[in-house]
Amino acid sequence: MIEITIDGKRLSVEPGTTVLEAARSAGILIPTLCAHDGLQPEGNCRLCSVEVTERGRTKLVMSCMYPVTKEGLEVQTDTKRVRDARRFVLQLLADRNPNAPALQPLFAEYGVNPKVPEGVEPELCIRCGRCVRACATNGTSALSFAGRGWEREVTTPFHEASADCVGCLSCAEVCPTGRITWEEKDGKRSIWGRTFDLVECERCHDRYATPEQLRLAGTDPETARLCPRCRKAAQQERVRLSNRGI
Amino acid sequence: MKLTSTKALEEWQAGLAERERGRSSARRVRVCAGTGCLANGSARVKAAFEAEASARGLAVPLEFAAESTGCHGFCERGPLVVIQPGEIFYERVKPEDVPEIFEKTVLRGEIVSRLQYRDPNTRQPARTSGEIPFYARQHRLVLGRCGEVDPFKIESAVSRGAYRGLARALSLEPESIVSMIKESGLRGRGGGGFPTGVKWESARKAPGKHRFVLANGDEGDPGAFMDRSLMEGDPHSVLEGMIIGAYAVGSRKGFIYVRAEYPLAVKALQQAIVQAKERGLLGRNILGTGFDFDLEVCRGGGAFVCGESSALMASIEGRAGEPRVKYIRSTERGLWNCPTVLNNVETWANVPHIVLNGPAWFRSIGTEKSPGTKIFSLVGKVKNSGLVEIPMGTTLRTMIEDIGGGVLKNRAFKAVQTGGPSGGCLPADALDLPVDFDALTASGSMMGSGGMIVMDERTCMVDVARYFVDFLAEESCGKCTPCREGLKALQRILHRLCSGMGEPGDGERLREIGRTLADTALCGLGQTAPNPVLSVLRYFPQEIAEHEGEHFCRAGVCRGMYWPRIDPEKCVGCGACRKACAAGAIRGTSRTPHSVDRALCVTCGACLEACPFSAITAVRREDPE
Repeated sequence: MIEITIDGKRLSVEPGTTVLEAARSAGILIPTLCAHDGLQPEGNCRLCSVEVTERGRTKLVMSCMYPVTKEGLEVQTDTKRVRDARRFVLQLLADRNPNAPALQPLFAEYGVNPKVPEGVEPELCIRCGRCVRACATNGTSALSFAGRGWEREVTTPFHEASADCVGCLSCAEVCPTGRITWEEKDGKRSIWGRTFDLVECERCHDRYATPEQLRLAGTDPETARLCPRCRKAAQQERVRLSNRGI
Repeated sequence: MKLTSTKALEEWQAGLAERERGRSSARRVRVCAGTGCLANGSARVKAAFEAEASARGLAVPLEFAAESTGCHGFCERGPLVVIQPGEIFYERVKPEDVPEIFEKTVLRGEIVSRLQYRDPNTRQPARTSGEIPFYARQHRLVLGRCGEVDPFKIESAVSRGAYRGLARALSLEPESIVSMIKESGLRGRGGGGFPTGVKWESARKAPGKHRFVLANGDEGDPGAFMDRSLMEGDPHSVLEGMIIGAYAVGSRKGFIYVRAEYPLAVKALQQAIVQAKERGLLGRNILGTGFDFDLEVCRGGGAFVCGESSALMASIEGRAGEPRVKYIRSTERGLWNCPTVLNNVETWANVPHIVLNGPAWFRSIGTEKSPGTKIFSLVGKVKNSGLVEIPMGTTLRTMIEDIGGGVLKNRAFKAVQTGGPSGGCLPADALDLPVDFDALTASGSMMGSGGMIVMDERTCMVDVARYFVDFLAEESCGKCTPCREGLKALQRILHRLCSGMGEPGDGERLREIGRTLADTALCGLGQTAPNPVLSVLRYFPQEIAEHEGEHFCRAGVCRGMYWPRIDPEKCVGCGACRKACAAGAIRGTSRTPHSVDRALCVTCGACLEACPFSAITAVRREDPE
């Protein structure tokens, strides 16, 4: 275990813990956008900056990626430099994504005025890359970034319907701004230019997954009769019955 | 023939050198085959020499040899030809000139004076390259063999000392090579200036089964061609440095990352690798010592950001060339998460010299904190432009006025841009600054990989900042918010300023965004991207203020933000401006002062550029005609 201080609080953490994780464990909140508990951090959005002091040198780092490796690390999460950096990032996002619901409390907290410059179309995507990482983590990698700089966008290869997409909605699930939308109608699910069949749960009749998604998870869609929720409920029932000795 | 010991290499080298000495009295011409000279037709010049020799019945190559060499550095004057005996230097040689050169210079040792270099100020002709101030003030250490050897023939490089450093290195312990490089004080020539020896040491110590050595040849700064010329002109110097480095850090595999837009460099390096392998200088069991090392050329895909170390490694791995957050150094976790040493090609080319001559010798060149030499590409509004290698600590003034011969058309010097898009613009006050890593960084610019663009009074500094920000916004990968959106924000303000729409407070806004962008961006590209803007704000605040408040461009560059005015005292009525004006806005008859008709003028600036007497100036829009 390594001893560090965050905003004057002393705590000891496992080596390799990120500053963000350490701060959270001490109840100190650091705003994040591209970080997600289920995904590898990438440090893209630059919102979670903090100041760290090591061997007398102070620098601005991204807490989601900065690993605690040395004894005596000092972290400051609320200095002027940190607030300026966060406000700068939020102002830049406000210039392009003024309407994203998830950003509104942050805009308010940091006193940022969301106003789009002339000639810029308001957007929802903040290019945090959560969807791309989620898709890669699932083993599909149907989504990626295309273009560079200001033109960077999340899309399927060549903007065409991707044969690799399994319609699992992980991308939409992790998206912090609601940019990724899908539609479910008449027992079909449409996303990223493709339409998928849906497997129906025998018990609750919820159309809960696409056959492609189940196959990717190693489940045969033909035998998957229950949705995860009903499967769990059925299991619990069985346990209860066996406890009663039936 | 494979060389199986360092002794065999020495013998081969001695034999080749002996043969060279025997031939040095023979008639030879060296024709530059660097990219610049080739583009100017040097291949046809060489062919003309060969045709001439065979027409005259000379036995080639016994009595006469025309040789292609790498870049001589004075690309602006190409094609360049050097004739032996006598080292006679000719510039801008065309195939039609060859019969005369052959008759007079090759056969009789006479000079064809019209092909000689003349000093732009004194008109004095120079007989050999050594007499030209452009070359005389240089210290060609890394470029020593460039322009003298045939880059496609290993024998040519070996006869001039290539791989002697490797032979010496293989007789030493790897650790002692690392400490030698540390002692020498060699710093990364790619621009960062990180101590090379420290990098090697940490990679050597880092735990890992595999280690990699990489060369960064992804030169992309506008106007820079140092690395290209080195790779094209003397590829073996890069290979030798890398083999020594691999031996020192314990690596068995290396990559040279070269941008795809450098086809000649790729070809020269690939050929050099093949030839070095044939001779047992690369591959398995190098020089019979049991040390294995293999090299591969990896072509980049044309993204500027791939010159950034983590993006370069991602690109070699086959992923999109995007940087990653580097809280763990690449010397510990680099290519494929293995300990990796990445050095610029010029850094690698310094290594054999240090191993051969010792760290103390290396420290005797340059300054205390920045020993050695540095190659620059001196371009822009300067009389002699080209490739320049100088000891560190040489002043900007020496480079621009002595080596460069001063500003073109004898106009007033305004600024010098160093370090490429990540660097900054320094004003005339800074001309006595010594060129080294620390002095340039302290001044708000940076060494960068060695681009040096000279600008005269006809350059608008706001427009220069706009140019570099446009370049970087185009090249930003877009991964992190500050670089992707922040450069766009800077771009909006700069475009506004350059089109007469500047708003009060724009200068301050640029400063704010620039500072925070530098602090928050993910990689080196974004962190240094505001430098061109910040340095213009620092050294040319007046021009920003004029663009912002008065919508005036004193340099006469930004359209619609000035009127050209002809000074009747200075105008001799030569008509140059009238001929240059496409809008027909200049009135006047021969030998009487001309004037500008503002109703027709489109402020294209052609007249300002055309006037040989500096009689036309840019005045404010509200100024009377």
